[in-house]
Amino acid sequence: MLVKEFRYTITDKIGIHARPAGELAKLTKEFQSRVKIRAGEKEAAAGRLMAVMALGIRNGQEIVVTAEGPDEERAAERLEEFFRNNL
Amino acid sequence: MNNSGFGILQRVGRSFMLPIAILPVAGLLLGIGGSFSNTTMLETYGLTRFMGPGTIPNVIFTVMSKAGDIVFANLPILFAMGVAIGMAKKEKEVAALAAAIAFFIMHAAISAMISINGGIKVLPAGAGADVVGIPSLQMGVFGGMLVGLGVSYLHNRFYRIELPQVLSFFGGTRFVPIICALAYVVVGILMYFIWPPVQTAISHVGGFVLRSGYLGTWFYGLMERALIPFGLHHVFYIPFWQTAVGGTAEIGGRIVEGAQNIFFAELAEPDVTRFAVSATRFMSGKFPLMIFGLPGAALAMYRTALPERKRAVSGLLLSAALTSMLTGITEPLEFTFLFVAPLLYAVHCVLAGAAYMLMHFFQVGVGMTFSGGLIDLFLFGVLQGNQKTGWLWIPVVGAVYFLLYYVLFSFLICRFDFMTPGRDRNQEAKLYTRKDLEEKRAEEEKSGASRKDEQSRLILQGLGGRENLSDLDCCATRLRCTVVDPKKVDEGVLKTAGASGVIQKGQGVQIIYGPRVTVIKSALEAYMEQEGGPEGSLPAGEAPPAEKEADKESRTKKKRKTIVIGSPITGMAAALSEAPDEGFAQGLMGQGAVITPEDPIVRAPADGSISFVFPARHAIGFMTKEGLAMLIHVGIDTVKLGGNGFKVMVQEGDRVKKGDSLLRVNLDFVSKHAPSLVSPVLFTELSEGQRVRLLKEGPIRAGEAFLAVETEEL
Repeated sequence: MLVKEFRYTITDKIGIHARPAGELAKLTKEFQSRVKIRAGEKEAAAGRLMAVMALGIRNGQEIVVTAEGPDEERAAERLEEFFRNNL
Repeated sequence: MNNSGFGILQRVGRSFMLPIAILPVAGLLLGIGGSFSNTTMLETYGLTRFMGPGTIPNVIFTVMSKAGDIVFANLPILFAMGVAIGMAKKEKEVAALAAAIAFFIMHAAISAMISINGGIKVLPAGAGADVVGIPSLQMGVFGGMLVGLGVSYLHNRFYRIELPQVLSFFGGTRFVPIICALAYVVVGILMYFIWPPVQTAISHVGGFVLRSGYLGTWFYGLMERALIPFGLHHVFYIPFWQTAVGGTAEIGGRIVEGAQNIFFAELAEPDVTRFAVSATRFMSGKFPLMIFGLPGAALAMYRTALPERKRAVSGLLLSAALTSMLTGITEPLEFTFLFVAPLLYAVHCVLAGAAYMLMHFFQVGVGMTFSGGLIDLFLFGVLQGNQKTGWLWIPVVGAVYFLLYYVLFSFLICRFDFMTPGRDRNQEAKLYTRKDLEEKRAEEEKSGASRKDEQSRLILQGLGGRENLSDLDCCATRLRCTVVDPKKVDEGVLKTAGASGVIQKGQGVQIIYGPRVTVIKSALEAYMEQEGGPEGSLPAGEAPPAEKEADKESRTKKKRKTIVIGSPITGMAAALSEAPDEGFAQGLMGQGAVITPEDPIVRAPADGSISFVFPARHAIGFMTKEGLAMLIHVGIDTVKLGGNGFKVMVQEGDRVKKGDSLLRVNLDFVSKHAPSLVSPVLFTELSEGQRVRLLKEGPIRAGEAFLAVETEEL
């Protein structure tokens, strides 16, 4: 099965905290695809603010974002853009 | 039932809570005092020597009985005033006064009509009554309701009336008692003609009951309950208890008439081996109903109350249930649902009839002095022995009744969302109100304030603003105010607002307007309430639109589950929209509210577990045991402090109890180094159909009910 995925290294100096997690959750809900974030061994659904915050992603950490579903192409594109602009 | 009718009925019900609150204590006084000073009872048990007339216990019980009785005897006027107070929109005290006056006048008018037409003797037995000392018609609580509703209608219509200058002294609130007095002269005369036929029709029903066996007994019980709100039950059951309608028997060589008389004659006769069920069929049914059934209803009401208000209603319901069980006085409990949910009362009546019928069927022969509580059951059932009375059937049927009432009431209350005590959401602070209020305000400003509001605004301005006004009253022609700072008073502005003179002495300010002053005062009060009233509240009687919609929704959807979360911090609570951060304020991160901490310890808001502690230690993810995900975010932009100022006391995965310490915040440090201490407390993952309500604004203590999450279950 095809899964769209990209890697990203957080450049924001305080990592993914409440606001970006909220924005990420909101953005994710625009797509039908299932979006996940993997940081090290932990993984979370990007649509769940708490789960994302629980990852405790910090500056300099590399994450893997995956999107799977009918609109995965567009989702991955938009998400990558989001990370680049905000994190 | 249409919506507005339903709304009015609910308001009537709510207004009844005031007089109802006194009933349990009055019921206990009357029940205990009455039973232990009842001479028949004392003679039967040979207690006359210790507790008979002339002894100290007798004095105490008699006084108790009278003290309780006076409340029940005057229930009609208490309800007249209670309903008027509850239904009046403003100037409630005037409505209460007007209700008392109207009540007196209505009964005086009836009384006059009675004496003109031949006196009370020509009325059927039980039709007349002494109402607050006036020989009038027995109208029961219905008479009080009639007055309360009519007066509040007239009051709401006329309390701001402006009369021509010559009569203007009688304008405004002073007009209310006047118009009510006149109206109720007419109502009284009408009642004289309308009421007796109603009473006669009721007493004819008696004949039917006697002719129809078990069915008749059922019907008797049903009617007796159904007539209580109208005060007509006396007309109905007294003939059964006291006259030949209830049967005739020969006991110990004398002819005795009436069910209760037969029972007590048998009680006094040592030879009787079994009490006549033909007599007790009109009494025994009360026992399973009052000792078991109604307390079941009370439990159902308690269980269906909003969780955060359970404590508040438990006192009312528990005492009312105890009163019913112990003394058989049921009004305190019945009135809590009669007006807000007439359907429940209808069900209650049907079951009441069935209770009488079952007792008749099982040949239970327990009588009573006046009602069916534990005291009477013990004296006239248990002490007489099962052989004579068959009283053991009472707890058997009673247990079934308790369950039946509990299940039926619980089901119906949830199904129809009846506003039984503790279910009325309108009495609490809500999340949307502030926004709605602001929108409303903005609209009003756009459409241009009315002339009266303009005047009120000028008066307030002339007095140095709302904050400067500490007290407001009026006499015949002057507005009498007390101000905080006399220097802020501006006579010029007050005169532009129509004052013909201003007198100022120290902190007292008198503004002379002439006789119109009562109208001006009412308008000013209304203006202040609407303009700067306690935030989050709307003028009485208007539910915010969002709430109305939600209500509608809740009626179509079936059930609602509420989870209440305590405050994690001691401080000041406010709506989420107050958060000085757009993301939080707009609900991007979730729904909830904010607290400005005044205590350094952040505590678990409920039982649950720690989902995570953010590396910067300023935010804690919390999962309640029900599975609600919460974010407690201390301060705004505090992530940038990099953990400084926070000391964490828990770890990810820890299970905690409500109130356990989670985090210590250095308030000084954080307030110096972060943009704000305002701390959002959010539910981050609500599903559709879940709504959050803010339960308290302003000062709040850690652990105090703070947010409620309502889940609608389809």
